[in-house]
Amino acid sequence: MSYAYLFKYIIIGDTGVGKSCLLLQFTDKRFQPVHDLTIGVEFGARMITIDGKQIKLQIWDTAGQEAFRSITRSYYRGAAGALLVYDITRRETFNHLTTWLEDARQHSNSNMVIMLIGNKSDLESRREVKKEEGEAFAREHGLVFMETSAKTAANVEEAFINTAREIYEKIQEGVFDINNEANGIKIGPQHSPTNPSLPGAGGQGGSQGGGCC
Amino acid sequence: MEYFKSGLKSVLGGPQPGAQPTGAETIEKLVDRVTSSTLLEDRRDACRALKSLSKKYRLEVGTQGMDALKQTLEVDRANCEIIGYCLDTLCNITSSDTFEEEQDLLNINIGEQFTEIFIKNTDNVSLVLSFLEEYDFRVRWPAVKLLTSLLKNKPKDIQDIVLVSPMGVSKLMDILADSREVIRNHVLLLLIQLTKGNANIQKIVAFENAFDRLFEVIREEGWLDGGIVVEDCLLLMLNLLKNNTSNINFFKEGSYIQKLTPMFVIPDNIEELGWSPQKVSNIHCVLQLVRTLVSPNNPVQITSVCQKNLRNANLLEALCNILMANGVPADILTETINTVGEVIRGNLNNQEYFCTVMAPSNPPRPAIVVLLMSMVNEKQPFSLRCAVLYCFQSFLFKNEIGQQQVVQTLLPSTNNNTALTTGQLLCGGLFSSDSLSNWFSAVALSHTLIENPAQKEQLLRVLLATNLGSQPVSLLHQCATFMQQTNKLQSKIGLLMLLATWMSHCTQAVAIFLNVPGAMAFLTAQTSATEYDNNEELLQGLCAFLMGICVVFNDNTVANYSKENLSQLIEKRVGLEMYISKLSEISRHEVYGRASKQPQTKAKYPNDLILEFEYCKLFKALESVIVKTLGAQKQLSNDMTELSLSEQENGLLLQYKDVIRDQDRRLQDLNKDLMRITQERDNLQVQNEDLRQSNLQLQDENTLLKAQLSAGTVNSETLPNTELPDPDLLLKLKQLEKEVSEKDSELEQLHKDQDDLLELLTDQDVKLTTFKNRLRDLGENIEDEDSDNNSIDETDVK
Ligand SMILES: Nc1nc2c(ncn2[C@@H]2O[C@H](COP(=O)(O)OP(=O)(O)O)[C@@H](O)[C@H]2O)c(=O)[nH]1
Ligand SMILES: [Mg+2]
Repeated sequence: MSYAYLFKYIIIGDTGVGKSCLLLQFTDKRFQPVHDLTIGVEFGARMITIDGKQIKLQIWDTAGQEAFRSITRSYYRGAAGALLVYDITRRETFNHLTTWLEDARQHSNSNMVIMLIGNKSDLESRREVKKEEGEAFAREHGLVFMETSAKTAANVEEAFINTAREIYEKIQEGVFDINNEANGIKIGPQHSPTNPSLPGAGGQGGSQGGGCC
Repeated sequence: MEYFKSGLKSVLGGPQPGAQPTGAETIEKLVDRVTSSTLLEDRRDACRALKSLSKKYRLEVGTQGMDALKQTLEVDRANCEIIGYCLDTLCNITSSDTFEEEQDLLNINIGEQFTEIFIKNTDNVSLVLSFLEEYDFRVRWPAVKLLTSLLKNKPKDIQDIVLVSPMGVSKLMDILADSREVIRNHVLLLLIQLTKGNANIQKIVAFENAFDRLFEVIREEGWLDGGIVVEDCLLLMLNLLKNNTSNINFFKEGSYIQKLTPMFVIPDNIEELGWSPQKVSNIHCVLQLVRTLVSPNNPVQITSVCQKNLRNANLLEALCNILMANGVPADILTETINTVGEVIRGNLNNQEYFCTVMAPSNPPRPAIVVLLMSMVNEKQPFSLRCAVLYCFQSFLFKNEIGQQQVVQTLLPSTNNNTALTTGQLLCGGLFSSDSLSNWFSAVALSHTLIENPAQKEQLLRVLLATNLGSQPVSLLHQCATFMQQTNKLQSKIGLLMLLATWMSHCTQAVAIFLNVPGAMAFLTAQTSATEYDNNEELLQGLCAFLMGICVVFNDNTVANYSKENLSQLIEKRVGLEMYISKLSEISRHEVYGRASKQPQTKAKYPNDLILEFEYCKLFKALESVIVKTLGAQKQLSNDMTELSLSEQENGLLLQYKDVIRDQDRRLQDLNKDLMRITQERDNLQVQNEDLRQSNLQLQDENTLLKAQLSAGTVNSETLPNTELPDPDLLLKLKQLEKEVSEKDSELEQLHKDQDDLLELLTDQDVKLTTFKNRLRDLGENIEDEDSDNNSIDETDVK
């Protein structure tokens, strides 16, 4: 239950590229061929381990349509990481990356880690965007890049975990101000430097379960 | 007032000789000063003056000053004092309250109309939101007040605007951390209004760490003992969670359930301390909050994880402590019982825990027993008795062991335990003279049998000692007898529901029932009756249903009432048509609709307790089976040897018929709506056009007069005040324009809905035809009621 750090992520990109499926594969380890269209945003969470430390990921999956764009923008500021997803079988979703990136850079805090993801790598026969193109785009804009398949789960874990690792390293380097919650990072209850002792409160006796205050 | 007058003097440059200026004139001058003066002090004084006049001369300040105020907000945004005056002024003119000093109440909705004008340009709202970022109290405070006022008048519009205005929600969330309590508390209220019914805003607010902040405030204020601010925090949390699965998920994942623990700490000496009204309100909110997390309407996996977390955080234990504490006010007790019910419902571990809770009575008794004692006690408040029933049902829901335990207490046992048991209480209630107790007990007992064939048979073994000396009779026998004897509708219905649950899928029970003297005659008489008083049609429906169960689950062991005999009895005495129509009385009845909505039986008055959720489910599952069985029997007796429809096929057919009937009805409703709305829209268009015309005319006149004025041909005395078109007219015009556009979009939506429905209907038609074909292939002869208007080519389907 308790964690060393909590990171907030958002998943962005055109509609239909597989954002919701990626989240579902990551949190529930399953693929749903017909996924409901996301309205606004949906929440998901999972615990991972980096360097032996428990890290809680809280992830907001957004709707890609233009109509929800302004709603989505409200989530940039408070996020520590973003997965920017395109569909390797649909060229136009790759072409829209610039717009997404501009939007993200404009509204987020400057330290937000952005991971570029070319999804649906299982559909090799219908590929329209070469892997090299994705790599080039990522290099040009300073992003981390990966191709994934929400269907076969290939690289899905890695995408989420590598993003977390980047954030974690930035924390170690002191780049992130971890005391500012607006950065999308929280320190876990037992790590809080101001409150090292055990929680004194709790119910009348026999309090088992979560040790957080 | 004196001060104000002298202030005015300085602004207006001294008193004019002669008559006092009218309010309108004064305001005109002030507005002029605000817009054209190059001196900051001048503008500031004018704004201050406008503010002080804005209550008394609200209409004048609003109509003449709105643009000037907006302009100042942009031009002088660096000057906190001026901005403060402007925001305060806007706050006054858009207020939904009426001020004492306000003169002519021309229009009650004046505040709303000014709101509408102000927010028409959504940038204005963004502008006000941007002032939240200013820390100066003189700005931030009136900005919060103005937003509150706008939100109160136009909640939906403001929600939409805030949602799309950049970081709008975030700005509000930021100032929730303001150390000045008056601002923090006010923002809290603002957020409660803003989040109401808007899932997108709710999610952003949660994303912006609302739960952390709110728990922080609640802790500062002293948890349950805190004042109204605690209640406000809880209300906001409730808004964020209600019907918002994403946020419930976030709440659970963020370990916020554990943070609720201190809210349930009830001091030992609570009886002396007493329950202050605020404390009562606070705990009600907390209970609501817990129920939101485990509502039966949530997706199952979410509810069950929340249930588990609640138990692990010892909150179930805390709730049970309240349940068993002394001196808890009845309404809190009632709500706690409901809450415990939903926390344990369908969760085996929690149900097991609940089972072990003991009441501190003398002798100690299980909490369940104490609760049931209240349920069958006429003197207890009605709502509390309902809550106990719900809690008991929840205890038994998907809990085979619990069901068995209750039935066990009724069986002839080896140990001579004299302690009062759940089973005894229910049997006592079942045949007591209080019809409400009969109903409660019958429903409660029926829940020990749901989807549990073993207990249906076990319960058959229960014997009751009746009058001294006479033979003991079985519980089922007694139920069937009491059903005939009692003259209270509620008791009859309760027993009929119990019997239906018991006898469905249990041929042994049916056989015993058929042997009860008069039982079948009673059902037949009720089912064939052609007249009824209020709610008796329902009684007849329930009797018909039980009769049907006797046919379907009949193993032909009772010679007189074999499957065939009973079918013929129905056919001859009632008639199949008549029988089916009696049966459908049940699902047509409004109480059926109400009862099948949610597991909790919701009733205001004792007489409202008629049907119950699980019974409705049973009915829905078996109605078509009964009809099909009777049909098959009829065919058999007609020497038809063909196989009839399979059970499944028939069920499907009935389902499709239902769907089509339903869609027909909705289509009709929608068409009606459409016609009405088209009509309304046409009317509005005509009105709008009229207004446009008269507005144009006024503008022409105005231009003419201006021209005349500049040409000096008109005596200024006679010049009517036409700086602006008649404000009243303008407002009305704007309102009408808005209404027209609203109606337009409504209409469009309806068109879309209708298209969707038509598409669905076609879809269903196709399916139905496929089915009919398949049935025909199976040799079934079905009358094709709608084959002639069936536009789909049957050969195309496959
Ligand atoms: N073959 C394949 N299909 C996928 C993959 N990810 C998503 N899809 C499909 O793409 C469609 C859109 O996915 P969804 O997650 O709803 O996209 P979103 O709008 O970005 O959330 C769905 O039909 C998915 O089944 C993938 O990795 N491989
Ligand atoms: Mg989606």
